[in-house]
Amino acid sequence: MRRFDATELRKTILTMAYSGATVHIGCAFSIVEILAVLYRNHLRLDRDNPRAPLRDYMVLSKGHGVMAQYACLHELGYVSQEEVRDYFGDGTRLKGLADVHVPGVEATCGSLGHGLSVAAGLALAARLNKTDQRIYVLVGDGELNEGPIWEAVMFAVHFKLDNLVIVVDKNGFQAMGSTDEVMRLGNIEDKFSAFGCEAIAVDGHDEAALDEAFMSCHQHMDERPKVIVAKTVKGKGVSFMENDNAWHYTRLKVDSYNAAMTELRERIA
Amino acid sequence: MRNAFSDALVMAAKADPKILLLTGDHGYALFDAFRKACPEQYINCGIAEQNMVGVAAGLARAGFFPVVYGLAAFVPVRVLEQIKIDICYEALPVVLIGDGAGFVYSHLGSSHQSTEDIACARAIPGLAILSPGDRFEMSAAMQLAFDLKSPVYLRMGKSDRGDVHAAPVSFRLGELLCVRAGNTGMVLLATGSMLKAALDLVDNGLGAEVWSVPTIKPLDTQQLAAIATRNSGVVVIEEHSISGGLGACVTEIIASMYGTTRVCRIGVEDRFSQYCGSYEYLLKEHQLDTLSLRRRVDEFGAILSE
Repeated sequence: MRRFDATELRKTILTMAYSGATVHIGCAFSIVEILAVLYRNHLRLDRDNPRAPLRDYMVLSKGHGVMAQYACLHELGYVSQEEVRDYFGDGTRLKGLADVHVPGVEATCGSLGHGLSVAAGLALAARLNKTDQRIYVLVGDGELNEGPIWEAVMFAVHFKLDNLVIVVDKNGFQAMGSTDEVMRLGNIEDKFSAFGCEAIAVDGHDEAALDEAFMSCHQHMDERPKVIVAKTVKGKGVSFMENDNAWHYTRLKVDSYNAAMTELRERIA
Repeated sequence: MRNAFSDALVMAAKADPKILLLTGDHGYALFDAFRKACPEQYINCGIAEQNMVGVAAGLARAGFFPVVYGLAAFVPVRVLEQIKIDICYEALPVVLIGDGAGFVYSHLGSSHQSTEDIACARAIPGLAILSPGDRFEMSAAMQLAFDLKSPVYLRMGKSDRGDVHAAPVSFRLGELLCVRAGNTGMVLLATGSMLKAALDLVDNGLGAEVWSVPTIKPLDTQQLAAIATRNSGVVVIEEHSISGGLGACVTEIIASMYGTTRVCRIGVEDRFSQYCGSYEYLLKEHQLDTLSLRRRVDEFGAILSE
């Protein structure tokens, strides 16, 4: 089986979401390919030591998509099968938002607008330590409403943090509606470019394109922070969830769980 | 006191290149010595305090020891959530300096005055709060802050009120320091700028024991209980709101002793400054000037002797 297979990861997410009767399924599904490509091909991690000093960092600033990261950490061995099955059980450690106490989760994010600043600090630390570590941070498009995001972008540009790769999950929705309805973002690449970043747009579900985008980030060490605006589909992978913002907050019932799981299994077959 | 702060910072940073100073474009003149001695360790993060604290968390997570400097109105109050989530949740070794606490910026108005910072900070788990009262306590507090290797908020208020101690001091985290002995049944506990004020009261005829409280959190509960037990009345004086400050901390501890010791909290009442004026003027407005303090303490003394 292919490592970090997107459909397998979605099955893990679905298992967690069903056993935990939790929300944010659409938010996790939109970032699966982004994380799959990063964990498979780019993040230099130590399977035996999640805190290896010279590791690359993956900061999930849109912490409500954390089930997608748990699915990757499960495949990596940082999160056990029992933890996946017992998601949200009393006394367990995997919470509904990114939590730094979980091995492999690098910042506590869920209150939005935190992760990019922490990532900028990590990138500056790598620069000061003269290491070749790369720092990836995944932010939501809705999260771009938060002021500290733009403080952090200015900081990253000013301190020439070209070891920082900002991925924007542009699924076009936030909690209460489309990003156009709630807080119009305009052209996201232009915004980041205007701040001095190198910004490119990519199909966030095309693994080959994502892979190429990350490669190009590593090749352009030109003192500019990198931004990959990944056009994604909220709820991607399960037809009745795709672009239906209800799956930001809808919980799975037995019927919807079975229908979704069946669809994912058919995709593999 | 500010020189003591700068000296301690420069000394520590010269000894340990992992110590970094982050400022939100504040500290004019204060950091001249630091910038000269350790230019590579000075990071001006611009006027963006929220990002500055997040950056500090990232640096600390990667092995650095950031000192984050701002005005107390901004660090810790404006960035409370970043302190809670980015720094304290992971117990990262970050020292937060809140300068100008209390009414230092008397002419600038309520945006820059800070009388709620202790109340905000003390509810965050794992955040130690230091509040030195003179230059000797400042040096000791800085040493302690660097030694702790865990989150610290160091509150720096009015800093030119003169010495309280005659020589360098050192203190454990939470330890109270006796600065005047007495046996009148009343004890004054004071912190920061109000330590000198308390001392002035005593040296001008008020016969009371005086203790400095350079650590607001954690407090040495046993030491405080022993002091409270020996006295019938405890007066707490601080340049901070009576809601949630040192007075509240002490009251909570004494209440939990189920004893007979009474507490008088003197601080800023539940209101903003009304007017512009000098620091001394604002102390008077908030009844924290020497005359007002004496009147309040005498009133409390009368109640105790009833």
